[in-house]
Amino acid sequence: MPTLTVNGRKITVDADAYLLEACRKAGADVPTLCNFDGLEPWGGCRLCVVDMSLATWDDDWFKMVTSCNHPVEEGMTVVTDSERVLATRRVVLDLLLARCPETPLIQQLAREHGIEETSYQRNPEPTDCILCGLCTRVCDHIGVSAISSVGRGWGREIAPPFNEPPPDCVGCLACAEICPTGHITFTTSSLTRTIWGKEFEMLRDETTGEAVITRDQAEHFAKRSGVPATYFETSDRTKRRELAKTFEKLQVVK
Amino acid sequence: MKMVFKVSVERCIACGKCELACAFAHGSEGRPSATRINIHRRGPELGTPVVCFQCDDAACAAVCPTQALVRNDETGAIEMIRSRCISCRMCVAACPFGNMLWDETYHCVQKCDLCGGEPRCVPFCPTGAIAWVPAAEAAIPPEKLDRENLEAR
Repeated sequence: MPTLTVNGRKITVDADAYLLEACRKAGADVPTLCNFDGLEPWGGCRLCVVDMSLATWDDDWFKMVTSCNHPVEEGMTVVTDSERVLATRRVVLDLLLARCPETPLIQQLAREHGIEETSYQRNPEPTDCILCGLCTRVCDHIGVSAISSVGRGWGREIAPPFNEPPPDCVGCLACAEICPTGHITFTTSSLTRTIWGKEFEMLRDETTGEAVITRDQAEHFAKRSGVPATYFETSDRTKRRELAKTFEKLQVVK
Repeated sequence: MKMVFKVSVERCIACGKCELACAFAHGSEGRPSATRINIHRRGPELGTPVVCFQCDDAACAAVCPTQALVRNDETGAIEMIRSRCISCRMCVAACPFGNMLWDETYHCVQKCDLCGGEPRCVPFCPTGAIAWVPAAEAAIPPEKLDRENLEAR
């Protein structure tokens, strides 16, 4: 297990860990927007930059890296709050605030870094999307890939193909749940669910009428797991009732 | 020593104390609906407590796309790592016993975590319908799964 020095503190982490984990373990406050424990690191938001120096390098030689996807190495020295690191974070937040001037999450992060108002030109069409890519990555991760980033530069956005209701979407809401700013909107009830302009039929339990997943979602699960889609029709309440009945049969009579 | 929940159905009086204890132990507001142990009520003062089995070969953990459900070797519980959960609800659909619970308030999945090896619901049960006992002391010892000779029933 490699040992690192983070802000002067000696920290030991697993060999397959990334720098961010070591920094967090050392108690350093490293802000992130695109990092999520369950997904592969991406290095998209550039907020987690830190200064890093290897044991073999000159003492005053530091390189700035994104800590979320940089593997740890024995004898590394890491500084999470040097002047140039903080300056870089401020530029990133300044730009994000110009893009999303009305997003509370960005406003708060910027304020924590001493930025009240963006020094760039404010986006005339404020959006909540920070292009962190969490939604597209989570969609890829569950094997659906219904949405992706579209266009380049200032026109880049997250959208389904051709901006039409995505044929591959199964309506699992993982993209909306993971979105840190709540940009992805949806409606859901026991009958229907709507996301990305596509309407889904919910898979309802025959006896209680409850539904937690859509029919497309059940078919997607069924294909992945090899069980029939009808397996998912039973709601958790009904399954518990069936279990209780089995328990009653198993009663030990003395 | 491996500890298991021992459920004595004939003793349960459906008072709901275990549900409340669980809700208070896990949530800041103690909403009874946020409980992870559920009593199936089948009549006045008649109930069956239903709680997660912490299955050996758990469907919830197998189906989770982000490995958010992992076994805690110390307590034997399958615990949910909240920071990894992407709220896709696959485990809710996969659990054959209905013990993965969708929490609409926090938009995440709740499951029994055995309270770190000392379930808080057990001391509150007034009749001993749920007990936390060594596996060897439970009335019907859990059968060991014979993976080689599995047959469809």
